[in-house]
Amino acid sequence: MGFFIISVVMILRLFQMQILERASYTLAAERNRTEMVYQTAPRGIIYDRNGVPLATNEPVFSLIYLPSQSTTQSELNRLADELSRTLRQNPEDILAKLEQARSARTALRIAENLPVPVMFRLSELKPFYPGIDLVLEARRYYPFGSFASHLIGYMGKINPRQWVRLKARNYRMDSRIGRLGVESVFERQLRGTDGAVKIEVDAHGKIQKILRRLPWKDGRNVHLTLDAIVQKAADEGLSRTSTRRGAVVALDPSNGDILAFAAAPDFDPNQFLGADPFSLDYSTFVPSSVPEFDRAISGLYAPGSIFKTIVSVAGINEGKLDPSQIVFCPGYFRLGRRTFLCWNHRGHGNVDFFTGLAESCDVYFYKMGLVIGADLIEKYEKIFHLGKKTGIALKGEEAGNLFGPETSMQEGKTWVGGNTLNLAIGQGRLLVTPIQMAVVAAALANHGTLWRPQYLRSIAPESNGEILRQSPQQIGFVRASKKTWNLLDQAMALVVASGTARGAAIKGIEVWGKTGTAQNSSGKDHAWFIAFAAKPGQAPSIAVSVLVENGGHGASAAVPIARQVIAAAFRVGKKIQYQWPKSSPKKIDSSAVKGETL
Amino acid sequence: MTPLSHSSARKSRLDGAFLGSVLALLVVGSLAVLSAARPLPYYHQALERHFSAMFFGLLIFAVAANFAYEAYEDQFWVIYGTVIFCLVAVLIFGTVHKGHRSWIQLGFFAFQPSEFARVGMVLILASILDKRALKMEYVSTVFMSLAAILPIAALIVKQPDFSMTLTLFPIFFAMLFCAGAEWEHLAGFIVLAIAAISMPFLYLFLSVYHPFPVSGSFLRFFMEVFSSKESEFVLVLVLAVIFGAAYYLNHLMHWRLRMRLFFIFWMLLTSGVVAGITVSHKLKGYQKSRFTAYINPHSDIHGAAYHVHQSQIAIGSGGIVGKGLFSGTQSQLGFLPERHTDFIYSVIGEETGFVGAVLVVLLYSGMIWRIADIGFNARDRYGYLVCCGIGAMFAFDFILNVGMCLGLFPVAGIPLPLLSYGGSSLMASLWSLGIVANVGRRKYALL
Repeated sequence: MGFFIISVVMILRLFQMQILERASYTLAAERNRTEMVYQTAPRGIIYDRNGVPLATNEPVFSLIYLPSQSTTQSELNRLADELSRTLRQNPEDILAKLEQARSARTALRIAENLPVPVMFRLSELKPFYPGIDLVLEARRYYPFGSFASHLIGYMGKINPRQWVRLKARNYRMDSRIGRLGVESVFERQLRGTDGAVKIEVDAHGKIQKILRRLPWKDGRNVHLTLDAIVQKAADEGLSRTSTRRGAVVALDPSNGDILAFAAAPDFDPNQFLGADPFSLDYSTFVPSSVPEFDRAISGLYAPGSIFKTIVSVAGINEGKLDPSQIVFCPGYFRLGRRTFLCWNHRGHGNVDFFTGLAESCDVYFYKMGLVIGADLIEKYEKIFHLGKKTGIALKGEEAGNLFGPETSMQEGKTWVGGNTLNLAIGQGRLLVTPIQMAVVAAALANHGTLWRPQYLRSIAPESNGEILRQSPQQIGFVRASKKTWNLLDQAMALVVASGTARGAAIKGIEVWGKTGTAQNSSGKDHAWFIAFAAKPGQAPSIAVSVLVENGGHGASAAVPIARQVIAAAFRVGKKIQYQWPKSSPKKIDSSAVKGETL
Repeated sequence: MTPLSHSSARKSRLDGAFLGSVLALLVVGSLAVLSAARPLPYYHQALERHFSAMFFGLLIFAVAANFAYEAYEDQFWVIYGTVIFCLVAVLIFGTVHKGHRSWIQLGFFAFQPSEFARVGMVLILASILDKRALKMEYVSTVFMSLAAILPIAALIVKQPDFSMTLTLFPIFFAMLFCAGAEWEHLAGFIVLAIAAISMPFLYLFLSVYHPFPVSGSFLRFFMEVFSSKESEFVLVLVLAVIFGAAYYLNHLMHWRLRMRLFFIFWMLLTSGVVAGITVSHKLKGYQKSRFTAYINPHSDIHGAAYHVHQSQIAIGSGGIVGKGLFSGTQSQLGFLPERHTDFIYSVIGEETGFVGAVLVVLLYSGMIWRIADIGFNARDRYGYLVCCGIGAMFAFDFILNVGMCLGLFPVAGIPLPLLSYGGSSLMASLWSLGIVANVGRRKYALL
């Protein structure tokens, strides 16, 4: 009797499990037998303005582990030992990852970007250790290494906090994400849709069959305004400096397009994608001591004599500075009891505006500074957008520091006459970034328009969407008279023709410029040079700002770099090879099954 | 005795429903084994064994069905001696498989004496209880039956096969009950049994949830005494003293009933505790972990609970009509452990769904109903008792096994008779069913 009651109970239990709760059990059974193996999709290719690929993808193999509930700890230990020998990694780390995969019950990447011999060795291990498998993926590849690395950026592992935020956008814990520059700013567009292989596994994690293959979708290609040849000239120029620290920014004065964006020291973004991504510890990096520190947008420097261009615009435009007025330079200037030296201690003799700017005579600008007045100069600092970020779409830009009576008052400091003299030659607490000075140089070239520096030319359409193009953005305008600009053009041409920047002269190209040698507390002077250039009879098509940290005189350290950059932009001179090897990046096919890999 | 009645009785036909349900279960079991054993590397060998065992089993069934069952009662001592001999032999010559020394290798065939010993025990108990038919109200009957099966149980524990031993006691109680033992006696033994069985579980339960025991405590002292190497000797000694006292007390008729019950209760409880502690120390690690898995199924999804968990997934995902024979993902891909032996019911549940699973329950119920019916209509008390024992054996095996597959009971390594892969189990089952068939055939026989 009792037996029949229990039988009824059993039938009821069967009814509950197989009919009422079927869905949850079916889900559990499906989760048992299926595994999803993801394949990182190729990111969009980053091109320069002439179609040179700056960031591409290459096919690599990753080792994945399909966990099995029936694997014992000792088997896991053995597998970890074997893998550590093959991969040359710490067995404890591998074991930790294997255990993580087992407890999370999902396939996990044990190692990425495996070289071919390791891949073959691992495929030999597969029959002995069910659960390990190789999967084809696309990895970012930067064909020119550190080329424009600060602008292009690099890829890094997603950190757990980020992952929590980005989970919804199909990022996985082992996904990589753009960490800097274009890679980071256009992460959404560059990132493709990862492919997936749905496989059936048995209890040992051995693959039975492939149930479904979801091909990946490449990310959208990004075209930059960067000119690879100009960029190369800038990179090479910086690498030849004595300190190898500095920045070069070249803009198109007609719209603010970045033609070159170099900062030294730089880094090879491929390093961050090495075979062992776990050995790099991002948390210990200190900004400014590492190559990632971008001197072009984050480095703050006194502008030195290049600021005299702004002082000149202020003086002439406001009618305070008479270009024909002669000032005698004995090599020093006395204000009260203090003596201010000219950089040329022997003095420049009689100096007018043109020689004053061409020879960068400090005494001339001391006197003119007092004539113009610090308030006006400070006003023009603001008009030229100093002390504010240019708004370039890069992380970490600094705004710099204004210097003038009003700013000092706000800071609670008194303004004395000596401050005006320092301000007139671009010293004091005035701090600018190389990119700000590039914007200033572009404004001097186009007679007043301050463009936001931009590096994006277009983004390839998403299947049938529109091509995304960025229009130039104006961040300010210097309202100055035609006379002002003409006088300044004349003086800046003279700087190159007979003044401090004679080294920047290029045959057949008109070049305007202004050197700077900024005194600073960190050692040797910083060398500055801002310039713009045009083909004769045409509007200027390039504006450059060059900074060499502790490089010494602007004329000797910064001018040659600018010259190279300008020459490259106009494709003149013989020093640089202007033929870029034409290579179209190969497309990686997600379903290309090579040997025994997924 | 007239020749007519004799010959007609001899030709009394087999019980159709009984035979039908047995054969249907064999067919279902064979299909399930065919499917469940498929991923095994020794699939063909396994099938060969299964079907040869079934062939011999049916042969044994046919022989037993035509062999007058009264002979078993007459040959009581021969059966008893053979059972003890085989069980001793397996401890000496047996081969170890999965920690049990339960198999005797006979050429290509591994023979598991404990499976046959269970049927033997039923026959032995039936003889004893038949002989003491007029003394059923005495507690001595209960003690005598217990004394008869204790050596068998002890030898099986020694293998060590606790699951098998566990199945002996329900059979024992069912047979005593059917034989008409006093309910007080049975209740006393049930208290003892519960105490003995629950003690290892209680011990484990406490050791899972509490640091245990405090050193120097009374319990600790007990633990130390009964977990020592001589624990078996101590156990036998203590039990002998207790049961001796109980037997003596039973004769103190002038004691008031309440007094007797009070003493008996404490004696039984003490012996249960003692036995429990000893058993708990004899339990193998995996047996403990199975129990731990039962009391806290989500504690260790990869270890012991894995079995039950996967079995439930298999059955639950079967749905109404199942995933189809040979297409169960849980069984074919190896997620279900022990799928062709202990968890064969889960395979049936997964591959044939609710329909198949209920069909098996109904077939089993039908078979047990027929066994019970044959028992009630048996021509003598011995036949009745044999049917009770065999019916109880199948019923408890079925409840424990299916209950385990459904996650209602802890994992006990008991095969599902007639369905699970296992030659000895199959042949012993068919032998016992052959005996039942013979009881049914001879219900009108005069001799």
